[in-house]
Amino acid sequence: MRRALLAITGLAASTTALVALKGSPGAGQPTAQDLPADQAPAVPGATTAPRASATPPRPKVTPSPSPRPSRSATARPSRTPDGATSTRTRTSAPRTTTAAPRTTTAAPRTTTAAPTNRKVTGPVISNEYGNVQVQITLSGSRITDCVALELPQGGQSDLRSDKVDAAYSGTSGQVVQRQSASLDTVSGATYTSNSYKQSLQAAIDQAR
Amino acid sequence: MTSQHTDAAGRRTGTPSPYGGRSAASVPSPLALPRRGPGARRALAVAFWLGLVAAVLPWWVQTPADSLAGTADVLTAAGRITGLVAGYLLLVQVLMMSRLGVLERGLGGERVSRLHRDLGATLFVAVLAHLSLLVVAYAEIEGNSLFGEVGALLTGYEDMVSAFVAAGLLVAVGVSSVRAVRRVLPYELWYHLHLASYAVLLLGFGHQFSNGAQLFPAGPVRTGWIVAYLLVGAGVVWGRLVAPLRFNLRHRIQVADVVAESPDTISIYLTGRRLNQIDLLGGQYFRWRFLNPGCWWQSHPFSLSAAGNGRWLRLTVKVVGTHTADLRDLEPGTRVWAEGPSGTFTAAHRTRERALLIAGGSGIAPLRAILEELPAGAALIYRARTPADVLLHRELDWIAQARQTSVWYVIGSRDDTGPRQVMTPAGLLRLVPDLLRRDVYLCGPPGLVDQSVRVLREAGVPRRQIHLATFEL
Repeated sequence: MRRALLAITGLAASTTALVALKGSPGAGQPTAQDLPADQAPAVPGATTAPRASATPPRPKVTPSPSPRPSRSATARPSRTPDGATSTRTRTSAPRTTTAAPRTTTAAPRTTTAAPTNRKVTGPVISNEYGNVQVQITLSGSRITDCVALELPQGGQSDLRSDKVDAAYSGTSGQVVQRQSASLDTVSGATYTSNSYKQSLQAAIDQAR
Repeated sequence: MTSQHTDAAGRRTGTPSPYGGRSAASVPSPLALPRRGPGARRALAVAFWLGLVAAVLPWWVQTPADSLAGTADVLTAAGRITGLVAGYLLLVQVLMMSRLGVLERGLGGERVSRLHRDLGATLFVAVLAHLSLLVVAYAEIEGNSLFGEVGALLTGYEDMVSAFVAAGLLVAVGVSSVRAVRRVLPYELWYHLHLASYAVLLLGFGHQFSNGAQLFPAGPVRTGWIVAYLLVGAGVVWGRLVAPLRFNLRHRIQVADVVAESPDTISIYLTGRRLNQIDLLGGQYFRWRFLNPGCWWQSHPFSLSAAGNGRWLRLTVKVVGTHTADLRDLEPGTRVWAEGPSGTFTAAHRTRERALLIAGGSGIAPLRAILEELPAGAALIYRARTPADVLLHRELDWIAQARQTSVWYVIGSRDDTGPRQVMTPAGLLRLVPDLLRRDVYLCGPPGLVDQSVRVLREAGVPRRQIHLATFEL
């Protein structure tokens, strides 16, 4: 009996210790500081989402007036060859496996002057099941469409991702209906829902 | 000079040897028996801890540092850790009851039972913690009430209904095993609830893979976890089915004779084929199932009361209940289903050269078998209430003579002067002056065993030199 009490105490103590070790700040995982200097700071309006993990939110904006939506505008407007960036943003494939959002951001104000459609892409949010990335289409300040560029895949994830996608995305999904990131969590897919909301929120923040 | 030489050759001092020393003419030399140290036990302990680390490691590796920001995150993380620990402990618990030879003869049935009970309490707490932590955490994330969240989990997530059933069963098993509850419950209910643990294993299987953050993605972790399940399943099938089947087909044990040792004690002699090939040590026990109409459905552990001799086996049983009363009427020729041998209560497991044996009543049975395999110079204290309660009297005297064993019969009730004087540190030291340099083997009623352990510890005998045999869980 004494040993059982000891074991239970040990379980509680070691669980607490493990959580505390992971939760303590500065435990040394690669975060924004480790990224190349010219990429890290150029994040205007990016909110630090509460549930973001290793990948910090770095929204990327694709101005729609350009004929090819795949082309990304860069902070340095000259010198970026088209091919280098267009391979990284693929709006045609709904579920890409982007390693990390590499594209840098444009100054949004330059393009919002035109009342045409524009697309804003949220950051990649990773959770245990995979990555989530959301792209919204805005007409003026109104969200007219929302697509998930990336959702967790494989096995059970496909089912969950489909549920989340069906509930949120599309021209008549919850995102368009509510015009905000306060969506109902999809039951059975809490983590995917939350990641979706974070990416969406960052995209909305970026757009406004 | 000679003794130093033999020491270096690995021979133990004081044991009879063909080269000199004490003579033990007619008794087979115990030198043939190699010691069985704590090696197997330590290896199993290391395996257990490595397994525990391996179970939690995926969480540690996959969780980025600094990612536990809010309360919900912390609770989820704690829920996952306790879940992984609980999953691992459940496998260990089932494996410990598989009766695999390495456990039965490396750890011993009693140590396994004790560990099973203590780990069981830990598993109980771990499962409840896993469940409640995750319900609270998910309720916070999804903004539900606690009961609403339980509903959401049951309806929204795959395999959660069976997981909740498994948790419920596990709680029932745990509660029914609390000693106070267990005493009240009929044995059969407790037993069948315990059988439900296998169902827990199956019912809890699904949700670990469909919802477990660490086990859900395909990869080495998921594969490893499935392999662990398969191994445990194979261990149970082997230990519970294949090994006993093989043993009984090979040895075909049957009753040869039933002999009365005293008015309320009988000895059952058993024969069979190839008995000399059983790897048997004095003091070990089998679980016996006597295959006649009245007894076949009950299996009971009884020690052998004689060391292996290759021709017959013998158990000496005190008649205390209906089952043991039925054993008196066993017909010669009755087939017996035996599972074993089990136990580390043997001469081979001693840490010192000499031993003191303390027996109470019918507890003499395994000690009588151990005595045959101990080197000369052993001592036996035999507690009995009346002279009529002394069993195997003639055999003990014969062994005492052949093997220079000192035997003291301490007769009388616990409060009589004789027993009271002996069962004190000073009393034991007077009988056995080198007590602290001996292993002590205890077998008897719980009262005597508890009292003896207390006295021995007071006298300063290290715990590892004290060996107990009780069949109480």
